Amino acid sequence: MLSNSANGIYWMARYMERAGYMCRLLHIQSEALVDRPVSEIQFGWRRIYAAINRNPLGGVQAVGLLDDYNLVDAYLLTDELTFVRDNPESILSCLERGRENARQIRHCVSDQMWTALNTEFLRIRDVKLTDIWLTSPSSFYEELLAAIDRFSGVATATMYRDEGWHFFRVGQFIERVQFGCSLLLTQKMIENQTGELTEASWRSLLKIFHASGAYDRTYSIEIQPDLVLDLLVTDRRIPESLLRSVDRTTQELSSLGDGPDAATSGALRRQAGRLGALLRYDWPDRDDRDEVLRQVLQYSRQLDNLLSKTYFNYAFQGVPRSDIR
Amino acid sequence: MEFQKYEIEPSFYDEMFHGDGSPRQHCVELHATLSDLTGLELSTMQERVTRSFYNEGITFIVYGNEAAGERIIPIDCVPRVLANAEWRHIETGLDQRLRALNLFLQDVYNEARIIADGVIPTDVIRDCPQYRIEMRGLSALHGAWVAVCGTDLVRTNDGFRVLEDNLRVPSGVSYMIATRKAVKANLRGVYRRSNVLDVEHYGKLLLSTLRDLAPPGVTDPTIALLTPGVYNSAFYEHMFLARELDAELVEGRDLIVNDGYVYMRTTSGLRRVDVIYRRVDDDFIDPLVFRPDSYLGVPGLLHAYRLGNVTLANAPGTGVADDKSVYAYVPDIIRYYLSEEPILANVDTYLCRQPEGLEYTLDNLADLVVKEVGGSGGYGMLIGPHSTAEERQEYAKQIQANPKNYISQPVLDLSRAPCLIDDQFEPRHVDLRPFVLRGNETRIVPGGLCRIALKRGSLVVNSSQGGGAKDIWVLPD
Repeated sequence: MLSNSANGIYWMARYMERAGYMCRLLHIQSEALVDRPVSEIQFGWRRIYAAINRNPLGGVQAVGLLDDYNLVDAYLLTDELTFVRDNPESILSCLERGRENARQIRHCVSDQMWTALNTEFLRIRDVKLTDIWLTSPSSFYEELLAAIDRFSGVATATMYRDEGWHFFRVGQFIERVQFGCSLLLTQKMIENQTGELTEASWRSLLKIFHASGAYDRTYSIEIQPDLVLDLLVTDRRIPESLLRSVDRTTQELSSLGDGPDAATSGALRRQAGRLGALLRYDWPDRDDRDEVLRQVLQYSRQLDNLLSKTYFNYAFQGVPRSDIR
Repeated sequence: MEFQKYEIEPSFYDEMFHGDGSPRQHCVELHATLSDLTGLELSTMQERVTRSFYNEGITFIVYGNEAAGERIIPIDCVPRVLANAEWRHIETGLDQRLRALNLFLQDVYNEARIIADGVIPTDVIRDCPQYRIEMRGLSALHGAWVAVCGTDLVRTNDGFRVLEDNLRVPSGVSYMIATRKAVKANLRGVYRRSNVLDVEHYGKLLLSTLRDLAPPGVTDPTIALLTPGVYNSAFYEHMFLARELDAELVEGRDLIVNDGYVYMRTTSGLRRVDVIYRRVDDDFIDPLVFRPDSYLGVPGLLHAYRLGNVTLANAPGTGVADDKSVYAYVPDIIRYYLSEEPILANVDTYLCRQPEGLEYTLDNLADLVVKEVGGSGGYGMLIGPHSTAEERQEYAKQIQANPKNYISQPVLDLSRAPCLIDDQFEPRHVDLRPFVLRGNETRIVPGGLCRIALKRGSLVVNSSQGGGAKDIWVLPD
């Protein structure tokens, strides 16, 4: 497969996955705005902005540790995170970039995938926050989330299982590792700064990972932060747990060929193994869990870099005279 | 919906109706079906067709108006029907024309007998910016310099005429197929009853054509489609054709030339490419030979081509044969190489490079269409009857400053066909662009893209100038 096409599929998958995370975060936040205490709403904004490593437009007022968002208008923040194109992490930006990648490689994906993505993008492209703010922002995010899930389902149902499929899956899983890890780190960071977090904040974290019901079944309805983290990091039954995402990445990589350079390809596979070992063997035994998560994030970024060097942007080492067909 | 309000003017050939308002024999079935549909049914159908183009992203971009983003080409859901005999006449004429033009290209880049024999003046070729000196002494496999051609035809009361030969990178075939799919899905019954001839196998014919052109000794060629990229006006078409061909869609940055061979960068390493269906203009395909500032092409591509290690379809330099000055000589070119009379007539053309042509053009500017010899897409032309005195004065200055750059033609009474406009059938001027393929034989799908001038009275059908498109149904014998 053409390197450029593989790269396009990989990034299409990543942007769509990222759009899904942002949508879930904003859905939870839009519901919190209705009836949750101010402190919880503040926490929600901090979590979103810290996870995407961004400051809101105009900055925030650091009155107290949990008061820094109290002077910022929820309307503006929601708009910036949903519709503002200047914010590369806004939902619309993610969808737009996902679609732009898809447009370049739509001959490599199914018609149904393209139509699902294009139709949804066109539907929300011209929506303004004013159109949804007074009625129900929550149902807007629900519908959008359903469309993003539908895209993923259509891909699973219709995409030809060639290399393109494996790059699509690698993109989804690496994004899950990176975004998921950023969220967990953020949660820990805020906890370190402010002391114990509310049960609601852990519950919402579980919801972002689609793991709320699973937690209740595995442990109890009583929240224990360490157990929440264990579940989200190492429970392979949770579709978006870090370990499952890393294992699936490794599995998809094993379905791909070696690429032109065996040394880089070996490094890529070792890096995936290292990442899995970190989660599987270091996480349960180490006390410095923040540091483990930081390492996971760092390793996953290196993995992305090696993937690019192996398949997308490898250096030419001269071309042999013999035919390569 | 009835056609009572539909206007038929004798000065324009109507594609559906005789002068007395009765439908032409081959349009009876369609006419009856359309008459039976209600206005609401028709407008709903039109909306469905438009919506399907929108959702599927069948788009193009208008240069100079990139801010407007991707647009869909406005599709009219009322097909234009051609009788089989009409199509056979067109098909034979197109085959003849393309064979002659390919022989002309072979000659003009080699012995140039046609010039030595005085059929075409030397300066017409010498002054043509599309004549590529770099192609001198080269030959194309099977003589197929032009492998893909999109000829523009118009019909007047006197019959079909060729308006333009597009021999460089003609586009529109994907819209032809997309329009067919959308229209037949909405007019299922009449489509089946009419046994309309298929056009959707175009991709297979194109693949066979490109395979014919593989370098000698290559039995299973790797084919790639070279696109300028996602910002090109016709990118949708490039993507569509790459999929039809099951070929990689490559940009210049995906290709490298090494040791006289072309390779593309794949996930498993470099892979040799044998045939490139290129949708990048000559000027941009190889910065070492043509424009050095081009990032769209591949350094060394022409070198690999000259060595015969890769085929470019169409070959560089084919633009000399669709230059508008050379166009005037195409009937003579057909007679010269094939010893046959042209089956399809040209439009009368006055060359401003000739004193009498210049004088006639300047004296009759208000009644003529004036075009730049290397222009395309409806850009840079003057339509005399639709221009102001000031515009004509300005244009006359440009002609006088560089007469060689212009030709003029009479304003043609383009035929009209019924279109659904504001929930009514109204006549609009149309043309026809069939697509002709040439490998070791000529291949043509029956039909083409029918372009419409959507503005009432307008003669400009180009999509970049607000034109639309409709399906063409060629009926069996």
